[in-house]
Amino acid sequence: MSLLRQPMLWLILGAMALFAGLPGFGGDVALREGLFLTAIAIILASNLNLMIGYTGYVNFGNIVFFGLGGYFGVWLTTMHGWPLVPAAIVAAILVSTIALFFGLGILRLRGSYFTLATIGINEAVRALVSNIDAWGGSTGMYLSVSVYQPLGGPRQALWIVYFLVIGIMGASLFLSWFIRRSKFGLGLFAIREDEDAASVLGVHPALYKSVIYSVSGFLPAMAGALFFFKNGVIQPDQAFDLTMSTEAIVMLMLGGQGSVTGAAVGAFLYDQLRSTLLTSSMFSQFQLVIAGILLLLIVLFVPGGLIGWIGERWPRLRRVLE
Amino acid sequence: MKRLWTALAFAIIALVGGGTRQTVAAADTITIGFTVSETGALNVDSLAQLHGFELWRDQVNAAGGIKVGGKGYQIRFVSYDDQSRPDRVQQLYSRLITQDNADFLFSPYSSNLVATAAIISEQYGKVMLTTGAAEEKTYQLGNKYLFQLYSPAKDYLAAAMDLMKKKDPTAKVALVYSDDGFSKAVAAAAKARAKELSQEVVMDEAYAPSTTDFGPIINKMIGAHADVMIGGGHYPDGTTLARQMFDQKAPMKFVCMLVAPDSPQFASLGDAAVGLAVPSQWEPSVTYKPQFGPDPATFGRDFQAKYGIEAGYHAAGGYAAGLILQQAIAKAGGLDQEKVTAALNATDATIFYGHVKFATDPQNHGLQLGHDMVLAQWQKKNGQLVKEVVWPDAAKTADLLYPMR
Repeated sequence: MSLLRQPMLWLILGAMALFAGLPGFGGDVALREGLFLTAIAIILASNLNLMIGYTGYVNFGNIVFFGLGGYFGVWLTTMHGWPLVPAAIVAAILVSTIALFFGLGILRLRGSYFTLATIGINEAVRALVSNIDAWGGSTGMYLSVSVYQPLGGPRQALWIVYFLVIGIMGASLFLSWFIRRSKFGLGLFAIREDEDAASVLGVHPALYKSVIYSVSGFLPAMAGALFFFKNGVIQPDQAFDLTMSTEAIVMLMLGGQGSVTGAAVGAFLYDQLRSTLLTSSMFSQFQLVIAGILLLLIVLFVPGGLIGWIGERWPRLRRVLE
Repeated sequence: MKRLWTALAFAIIALVGGGTRQTVAAADTITIGFTVSETGALNVDSLAQLHGFELWRDQVNAAGGIKVGGKGYQIRFVSYDDQSRPDRVQQLYSRLITQDNADFLFSPYSSNLVATAAIISEQYGKVMLTTGAAEEKTYQLGNKYLFQLYSPAKDYLAAAMDLMKKKDPTAKVALVYSDDGFSKAVAAAAKARAKELSQEVVMDEAYAPSTTDFGPIINKMIGAHADVMIGGGHYPDGTTLARQMFDQKAPMKFVCMLVAPDSPQFASLGDAAVGLAVPSQWEPSVTYKPQFGPDPATFGRDFQAKYGIEAGYHAAGGYAAGLILQQAIAKAGGLDQEKVTAALNATDATIFYGHVKFATDPQNHGLQLGHDMVLAQWQKKNGQLVKEVVWPDAAKTADLLYPMR
């Protein structure tokens, strides 16, 4: 079995085990809350990596998948009494389908025009959702404490949501890894390097790009459904927050775009750094300044990101850290 | 190679584990946890609220702490910056409870941050006094440990409508408000009240909270021949709107705006502030007779002495949250959450901040029932800008300036 000999497989499983086990065994809720946000960051960055790192299309409005997934998820669980897992899956299917249609339209654009269009989509969806009365308009939807009862009350429900998110985090990493090793992935890389040359070589750019755009929305949408279920309230401003989109891009830069581990490590480091600075008594006053300076230094001096830099220093590691 | 992996594994564990150290409070302290918007859009209002908390803490500690069974408990605060954003609120509140061992919680500032934090208070069964959050929905979800200090959102602009009905029943009203949960809830209630009073509403428009150019909206107001503007949102958008209305010489007879004009800093607008009214949870000039705690004048004086600015209602709400909690702990005779909850449920008292009484039915648990709002207006007295209470008649310190310009 060649798959079992791949270090990547064990790295991903190991990361999942650490994430689930560290807070799981001691029942450490504060650690869980921290790792929950980190896992969400890893999911967002990994899936964004499919667009930016693999295909070379900068999707600035990637948070729209997360927010829309959250809305569908909360709507199905609260208004229609669906159980959480089917609601999250259906939310993801709906978001991916919508993304496929959007993708067919906007992926004809290239470069900064595409980037602008993605921001436009996020803002348009936010404005639309703010005016849907069934979804609470701009006040959003509030979950009653009773929705957690089927999962055993709020305390237990939050643990269940956490483990589900760890599952989605693992799925995101596996998805990135499998696509990277597939023929489909090679097609995406070809598009990234030279779209015209790729189409001459038999890659169908329009189809490939639409599919990857839609695929990159699936797992973030599921994560959004779970996140807002746990959050207890969903409002357009929080669901479609462009800052989170930008942060996901920064995470990619930090870890190294185009690489499975790069996206994950970047997200992990960025999120841990932010929450450490935020809660430290010494740095909390200027945590944004420190985070900003650090990121500036990394982008200036290590443009390939952390994994790119490691790959240059120790070329043998390149085969391990895909 | 193997060593590298081991080192990497240790590094990860150290990084993750580093955040989990426990802080143990001394035996005779009560720890209260909360988040403050030290940065971001809610900064001005949230810091005022924090000053209220701090003044209460310092005065109680100086007087020997909260007395429970003959023993004085000193109050200790643990707080984090929530950046005015809800995404880390749950992480921070979980941390406050599980790592910082907070005995009780105060809320963050603003309705949507409170809604997010409320889940955590409920999850752990920790009493949370909410101040700076007026939206009702949060209290209608089956919570048991939330207690609201502010009058609910529906009360905010209803008073302005009542005043208009009395002063100028034919005035045309423009509703212009920030597109956020709190402001929309307030505006919807105001619109309903206008309909009840058959006051004509000629414009109903929400703007994005981040709006910086109100030109088109102001033109539309002028075009609709509105006499009265009612709405607003929070501090940054409210001040900008007020300044631009003044610059564009919008011929308004009366403007009543949420939150922004309440801040003492609003006076920095100069002439643009004259005539602007604000529904207020509290004003320094009110004359409530407290059953315990300082009277309004003493609170105002102490606050001014400590911070060098006049106390607004956010600060008063913060102090009141502390005072009500203190009374409940003393009554409960200990720190037991259920007993303190019962004491809070039974609270029916008048303090410097006004009457405080919480709803106890499961559908609205914790909603503020006792407190009344007042309407304050910026007026010019001897060349100085002062904020006067103009409504209700029983509490007023000056007549309404109408038309304002």
